[in-house]
Amino acid sequence: MIAKDQALEDVVILDLTDEKGMYMGKLLADMGARVILIENPESGHPARSIGPYYNDVPDINGSLLFWYHSTNKESCTIDISKPEGQQLIKALVKKADILLESFQPGFMESLGLSYKSLSEINDKLIMTSITSFGQNGPYSNYKSSNLVSMAMGGIMASCGYDDIADSPPINCDGWQGYATGSNYGAIGTLAALYYRDITGQGQWVDASIHEALSCTTEAAMPNWFYTKQTPKRQTGRHHGIQPTPSTQYLTLDGKLLNGFDIPPRTMERWNGLIAWMKETNMTGDLEDESYREIIRNRVRTGPHVEKIISQISKFIASLPAEEVYHRAQQIRLAWAIIRSPEENLEDPHFREDRNFFVDIYHPNIGKTFIYPGAPYSFTETPWAIRNCAPEHGENTNKILIEDLGLYLDKVNSLRENGVI
Amino acid sequence: MKKPSLLEGIRILDFTHIVAGPQCTRILGDLGAQVIRVENEQGLDSTRTSPIKVGNGEGINRSGMFEYFNRNKLSMTINARLPLGLQLIKRLLTISDVVIENFSSKVLENWGLSYEEMCKIKPDIIYTSITGFGHNGRDREYSTWGPTAQALSGLTMMSGLPGERPAGWGFSFLDHTAGYNAAIAILMALHYKNKTGKGQWLDLSQIETGMVLTGPSVLDYTVNGRPYRREGNPPGNRSQNPRVAPHNTYKCTGDDRWCVISIFNETEWENFCNATNHKDWLENPKFITNSHRVLSEDDLDSQIQSWTLTKTPEEVMTILQSAGVPAGIVQNNEDKIEKDPQLKAREFFPEVLHRDAGEKFPTDGFPIKFSHTDASIRSGSPPLGADTEYVLKELLEMNDGEIATLYDEAAIL
Repeated sequence: MIAKDQALEDVVILDLTDEKGMYMGKLLADMGARVILIENPESGHPARSIGPYYNDVPDINGSLLFWYHSTNKESCTIDISKPEGQQLIKALVKKADILLESFQPGFMESLGLSYKSLSEINDKLIMTSITSFGQNGPYSNYKSSNLVSMAMGGIMASCGYDDIADSPPINCDGWQGYATGSNYGAIGTLAALYYRDITGQGQWVDASIHEALSCTTEAAMPNWFYTKQTPKRQTGRHHGIQPTPSTQYLTLDGKLLNGFDIPPRTMERWNGLIAWMKETNMTGDLEDESYREIIRNRVRTGPHVEKIISQISKFIASLPAEEVYHRAQQIRLAWAIIRSPEENLEDPHFREDRNFFVDIYHPNIGKTFIYPGAPYSFTETPWAIRNCAPEHGENTNKILIEDLGLYLDKVNSLRENGVI
Repeated sequence: MKKPSLLEGIRILDFTHIVAGPQCTRILGDLGAQVIRVENEQGLDSTRTSPIKVGNGEGINRSGMFEYFNRNKLSMTINARLPLGLQLIKRLLTISDVVIENFSSKVLENWGLSYEEMCKIKPDIIYTSITGFGHNGRDREYSTWGPTAQALSGLTMMSGLPGERPAGWGFSFLDHTAGYNAAIAILMALHYKNKTGKGQWLDLSQIETGMVLTGPSVLDYTVNGRPYRREGNPPGNRSQNPRVAPHNTYKCTGDDRWCVISIFNETEWENFCNATNHKDWLENPKFITNSHRVLSEDDLDSQIQSWTLTKTPEEVMTILQSAGVPAGIVQNNEDKIEKDPQLKAREFFPEVLHRDAGEKFPTDGFPIKFSHTDASIRSGSPPLGADTEYVLKELLEMNDGEIATLYDEAAIL
C-alpha cells in the first residue's frame, strides 16, 4: 500500500478543551493534524474520569469515552493555573497553527492567554473557543452540560413520546449536543484555516453550542418563522403539526423496524410489496382495486389506510428483522431496522465492503480493539487512526524537550514543582 | 466596517435536494461561497413543495423549508438529459471549485458525469457525494431518509425511556449531521488543494455519519463485550456515564413545560439544596453522597419534581443558575425565537428578504462568530431558475444568441 498524505498533516493544534470539544479535536486529528492535548497534571482530561472503562475498572488510562475521542492525540500535562505553565503554553503557541479551548468566557484572559495576548506571540494563530453559549450575552457564564445544551437548543422539545401520558422530552444517550457543537467548531476552525491559507491572517473563532443546536432541529424553526406553529413530538418519528401514524413495527424476532413510507407513495413499490406479501398469503384483502386508488392518490388517513397499516404490520410481524429490511430495500422501500450500535458489526456492507470498522492496537495493553471508523472517505487524503489515545502525560517529555528545546533538568524541576 | 467573507471566490455547483445536501451548501454559502443550485422542474426538490408556506403564499417559490435551507444560493434550471444541457453543466464545471450531490449512487454517472469524467474537464475539482449507504458496497443502492438512517446507525435506539420503545429523534438529525460532515470534508479538501493543487472525491454515507456518534457504546461492546441492547437501556434523561444524580427532566407549571437539572459534584448539590430551600436534603441519609442519590434516584427525582411543578421552567433556570447549578429550559421553537435573551444578545435571528414574497422574515444566523471575517445571510432562497440568466451572462459570459439557443432547445427551462 502506498502511504498517502493526510489533508491536515501540516497543521499543529494545541487542544485545551474538555468534553465539549473532544470530538472536534478527534475530527481534526484523524485527518492528519498533530493534536497536542494539554492535560491537568493531576486529574488529566475530564473524559478520563468518565466511563465506560476498560474491564469496568476506573483508571486514568482506561476510559473508553477518552479512548474514542482521543485517537491520534498526544498528551502533554501542564498546569495552566501556574505562571510557569502559562509560559509553556505561550512557547507552544509559537509553534502552533490552531489552539482549541472550551473554558468559561474570560478564563483564558484571566491566565494571560486571551486571543489578543496569544496573537501577539503568533499573529497567524487560529484560536477556537467552543462554549455552551458563546463568549458574550446574559447566559455566557451559565453552567451547562450536554443535557442542558440539548434542552436549551430545542432538540429535546422535538423528541419523545405521544403515546405515553405525561412523558418527558427525551435526550439521546451519548454526547450528541457536544458532538454537534464540535461539528460546527470544526467547520469554523477549518473555514478560518482556509482563510489563513489565502490571506495569512489568523483569527478568533467563537463557537456556541447553543446556537449550533438551535439550528439543528429541521422543520421546527421554519414552522415558527413562517407560520408561528410548534410541532409536537411523536414516538419514533418526526415531530408534527398534525399527528401522523406510528412507523414502528415489531418483527418476528422481537426487533423493531422503522417502516418509513407506509402506505408506499408509488405504485411501483406498492406492487412490489403486494407481490412479496403474496408469497406467504399475507395480503389479506389488500389486492382489492380500492387500495390501488389510495396509493395512486397518496391518501394518508382514513379506514383504508388503517387497514393497510394493520395488514402490513401483521406481515412484518411474521418475518425476522433482517429479512424484512433487505427484501423491502430491494423493492425500494426505505425501511430500516432499529439497530443497537454494535449490531452494525454484523452487517457485511459496513464491515466488509466499506471497511467502516477499524482495528486499533493498544501497545500498552498489547491488544487490538475494534473502533468505529470514518464519517467520510477521501480518495487522496485518507482518514486514519495512526495511534490509539495517549496515556496520561505520555508525550510530555518529548514535547518539552524536542519541540520546546528544554533541557532534561529543567523538565525535571518543572515536574517537581507540579507544573507538568 | 464590513468584514470579509471566509470563502470569497469559492464556487459550488450544487445538485443537492431535500435536507442533507442543502444543509452542507447552506453552511458554505453562509461562509461566503457562491452556491449555484442546478434544478429542473421534472425532478423538483421536494422541499419546494413542503406545507410550510412563506407569507401565506402558494407554489414552489414559497416553501418555508426550502427558504430555510437554501438562503444565499442561486438557482438555475438545466435539463441534464439533453446534450445541450449536459454541455452547459460541463461549462459550469470549468468555473467551479466543488461539485456536490445527494442523488442515489448512479445518477450523475448515468448523465455521463462520473468523477473520472469530471476530472477530464476540471482536474482539480472537489466532488462530494452524499448517500445513505455510500457509493460502494453491496447495499449501495438501498435508500434512506433521516429516520431510517438514524434507525440503522443506532442513534434511534439510544434515545428513549428504559423499558419503553425507543423515542428516537423527532426530526432528521442525520440530514443535518451528514451536511455538517460534508462541509467539514470539503473545507479539509480545500486546504489540501491550497497546498497541492489537487482535488479529490469525498464520499459520505449518511448512516456512517451517525455510527461515528455511537463510539463509546460500540467500544463498550468490542472491548468489554457489553451490548447496548440490554435491560435498562436507553437511560432516558438520566446519566449512566458519569453515573450522577440528580440528572433529569422535570415537569414544571404550564402546558407541556419542562426543565432539566444536571448535578455533577457535591458543591453543585449543596448549592442546589440551598437555592431550593431544601437544606433538609443535605442531612437526608438517602441523599448524603452522589452514590446514595443514585441509589435513591426515583425518590429524589420525584421530590425535585414536586418543587419544579410549582415553578415555570424559566424560574427554575434563573433560581438554579444564580446558585451555580447547571439547569435549563426545554425550549421549543417559540422559546428560542421569541424569548431567549441569549440568542437575542448574540443577534442570532437576522432578517432576510424573501425573494418571492418581497417581505423580510427572521432566519437563524451562523453559530460561529469570527474576529476578522463574517459569515452572513445576504439573500433569501432563490425562486426556481431565477438566476439562470445571471449565471449564463455574468459567469459564463454567453451572448444573447447562445442563450436563445439554450431556451429554444429546452436545455434551460
